[in-house]
Amino acid sequence: MSQSSSQQYDVIVVGSGITGGWAAKEFCEKGYKTLVVERGRHLDHPSKEYNDMKAPWELDNHGLAPERLAEEGHYGMLLAKKGVLKSDSIQFFADDKEYPYSYPSKRPFMWTRGYQLGGRSITWGRQVLRWGKKDFESNAKDGHGVPWPIGYDDLAPWYDYVESFIGVSANKDGLDSVPDGVFQTPWEMSSAEKYIAKNLAKTYSDRRLIVGRAANLTKPTAQQSALGRAQCQARSHCQRGCTLGAYFSSLSATLPAARNTHNLTIVTDSIVSTVDYDEARGKASGVTVIDAKTKEKRSYKARVVFLCASALGSVQILLNSKSKRFPTGLANSSGVVGRYIMDHFTGVIAKSEVLGLEDRYAFGRRPIATYIPNYRHEKAEDVDFIRGFGFQTTARERPKIATFGKKSGIGVMAKEQAKQDKPWEFKALMYGEMLPYYDSRASLHPSKVDQWGIPQLHIDAKLKDNERNMIKQAAADIQEMLEVGGCSNITIRETPPNKHLMVGNRTHEMGGACMGADPKTSVLNKWAQAHDVANLFITDGACMSSCATQNPSLTYMAITARAADHAAKLMEQGQL
Amino acid sequence: MQSHTITRRVFIGASTFILSVPLLASSFNKQRSLIEITQDGQFFSSSELTVLSDVADIMLPKTDTPSATDAHVVVILDAMMLSWAVTHTQEQFRACIKLIEDLATQTYDSVYINLSLAKRSQLITELDSRAFEQKKSNMSVNYRRLKEMIFHIYYTSEQVATDYVAMPGGYAGDISKTEFEAAQKRGYL
Repeated sequence: MSQSSSQQYDVIVVGSGITGGWAAKEFCEKGYKTLVVERGRHLDHPSKEYNDMKAPWELDNHGLAPERLAEEGHYGMLLAKKGVLKSDSIQFFADDKEYPYSYPSKRPFMWTRGYQLGGRSITWGRQVLRWGKKDFESNAKDGHGVPWPIGYDDLAPWYDYVESFIGVSANKDGLDSVPDGVFQTPWEMSSAEKYIAKNLAKTYSDRRLIVGRAANLTKPTAQQSALGRAQCQARSHCQRGCTLGAYFSSLSATLPAARNTHNLTIVTDSIVSTVDYDEARGKASGVTVIDAKTKEKRSYKARVVFLCASALGSVQILLNSKSKRFPTGLANSSGVVGRYIMDHFTGVIAKSEVLGLEDRYAFGRRPIATYIPNYRHEKAEDVDFIRGFGFQTTARERPKIATFGKKSGIGVMAKEQAKQDKPWEFKALMYGEMLPYYDSRASLHPSKVDQWGIPQLHIDAKLKDNERNMIKQAAADIQEMLEVGGCSNITIRETPPNKHLMVGNRTHEMGGACMGADPKTSVLNKWAQAHDVANLFITDGACMSSCATQNPSLTYMAITARAADHAAKLMEQGQL
Repeated sequence: MQSHTITRRVFIGASTFILSVPLLASSFNKQRSLIEITQDGQFFSSSELTVLSDVADIMLPKTDTPSATDAHVVVILDAMMLSWAVTHTQEQFRACIKLIEDLATQTYDSVYINLSLAKRSQLITELDSRAFEQKKSNMSVNYRRLKEMIFHIYYTSEQVATDYVAMPGGYAGDISKTEFEAAQKRGYL
C-alpha cells in the first residue's frame, strides 16, 4: 500500500551524487524547501566507512577483496575491471548481483554504481576538464546525434561558478580544447612528465601534455574552509573517502552547504520507482519511492522534480513512469528516452620508459594524472573517422623494481633487487569520443525485475567502425608521440577489432534523455528541462547530447547549477 | 636435537602488532635453523605452518630489512585463508606445501623439515626457477600464487613498508635523491 507524505516540498531532487548535491545546494540556498531522495544508505562526513587513514597493513586482507566475491558471482563487472575492487573501497560500489541489470549476452555493458548518500561522488576520478566550443558544435557539424541547444558561452559562467565552489587545482594552459577556468595552485608535473611535455611542445603545435585538473584543494578558500574542507595532503587515497574533505564530493561540500540553510531534508534507503504525473495539470506531482528495507511504498509531492540519479538511473525512472499521457515513459513523446547511450572508450594502452632522469625523484602521491587533450576535432584527410580522442597519462612517481612475487627469484638477491629504483615509466590510456547512436539504447527488460519489483534496465550499446578506426589511429599517434617525447622501450597494447570493448568501462556513461531544440527529437530543452513536462529537469549524464573526450562531471555540475537557477526564476515568476 | 622454546612475543615481534587471530606458539630448532610451529593455526596445521614459515623465510630472509617471520607473513596468511581465500586457493596452497614435502622426499629421501637450511634453500630456489620456466603446470600455478601472496603480505606489512608515508603533505615531482630521502625521513614534504 502506498503512503503519501503530508509534507509538500518545493523541490524534490532524486539522487545525492555529484549533480544531486548541486541541485540541493542551489535550491536550499535560494530558500526553497528541498527533499533529496537517495536509494542507498546514509553516510556521514567524515564517515566511519572511510578508510583513508589506514596504512596498507591495516586494511582488511591487506587491501585485497575477498575471493569468495568472484566465486559467488558478486561484483562481476568491477572484478572484470582488474585492480578496481579492493577492500579499502568496496563498500562504496553497488554489487551487480544484488542490483542486477541486463544486457545482450554478446555485448556486456558495464554499469558502475554507488548506492549511498553521496553516490559516486565519493569514488569519482576528480579530473575536471571544461568542454571546448567545438565539443558543443560537433553534433550539428557532422550530423550525428541531436545538435546541442547550448554552446560553450552558455556554460562558461557556470563553469566559473562551479569551479569556485568545488576547488580546482590546475594550470592555465591556454588551450581552446580545454578552456581555462577558476583555478587553485596546480599540481607539479614529475621530472619525466616535464621532459615529455617539453619535447612534445617542440614538435607539435596542437598536441600538449598538461597536468591534470583536479577537484582537490591546494589552496582552500574561506568558503571551502568554512565547510570543514582542508588542503589535499597528496595521499591519493581518494577512492576510500577523504576525512579531510580535501577532494570535492557532495558529502563533503554541497550537501553540508545545503544543510546549513535548514531547508534540506534527506531521505535515504528510498528507491524512486516513478516520477508521478498529474494528467490534469500536465505536470510532475512528485515521486513514488519504495523503501529499500521494508519495501513499502510512499510518495512525496513537490512543485519541481530534478532527476539526478545518474544517466542510466534517471532513464530507468523515466521509462518506468508510465501514464495515460506517456505510455512509453515520462517525457517520452519523442521516443528518444533511453536513446543515444554513450561512454568514453579506451582501446589503446601505451607504456614506456623515460631514461636519463635517474637522478630525479618524486615525493608524495599526486592525486591526479596528466593529460593530452583531444587534438583531432577536425577530420584530417588521411583518417577515416570523425571527432577524436585524448590520453590520460602519468609518470607520477619513480617506480621500484619490487617483484611482488610475480617474477622469478627469491632470497637476498630478490630483496635487494626490489629496493632498486627503476627508470621513470610513462603510461598513456586513450579516451575516445563515442558517437551518439540512436540504436545505442537503454530500455526496460520485458520480464526481469529487481528485488523491489522494478523492471531491470536492459542496456545495449556497442562501438562501431568510427570508434574502431579511431583506436587504430590512436595507437599510431601515441607511438609517434612517445618517440617524439623522448621515451624508450615503448609498448602499445591495441584492442583487436573483433574484441568486444565494453561500453560503460570508463564509468562516463552519458545520454538517454538528451538536450535539443526540437521536442520531436530530444527530451530536454536548453535548460535541461523536459520539453513535455515543464517542472521536470534532468541534469545528470542523461542530458548529454554528445560525450566529447573530457571527463564529464564538471559539465554535469555546471548544467545542474544553471538549470537550478533557471527553475528558481520560473518558480519565482509562478510558472512552476 | 638442540631445541629451545621461544616466547610468543619473540615470534610475533613488535609489541604493537595486533591481530584478530591467536598468536602461534613455536620453538626454534637451532641445529636446522628452523622455526617449528607447535600449534595449529586457524586454517593450516602446525606442520603446514612450519613448512610455510620456513619457505617464506627462504624467499624473504632477514637482511638489513626484516624477514618474512619478522613481518608475521605466515600468521597473517593463515588468517587470510579464512577471510580472503576460497576453497580453490586453500587447496592450491595446501597442494604447494605437499609438493615441497614430496620434492624433499624425492630429492633427498628426507622429510622437508629435517633437511639442513642449505638444502631447503636449494630446493625452494630450484622450485622457484622451474615454476617460472613452465608456467602452465599445476605445480607452477600453485607455487606462483603462494609466492605472490607471501610477497604481497610482506611488502604491505608494517615492518617492511617503512617508506609508506601516511600524510605526505604535498607533492614534489622533480627533486634530487638527497631531497627525496630527506622528505622520506621527515615523513612529509
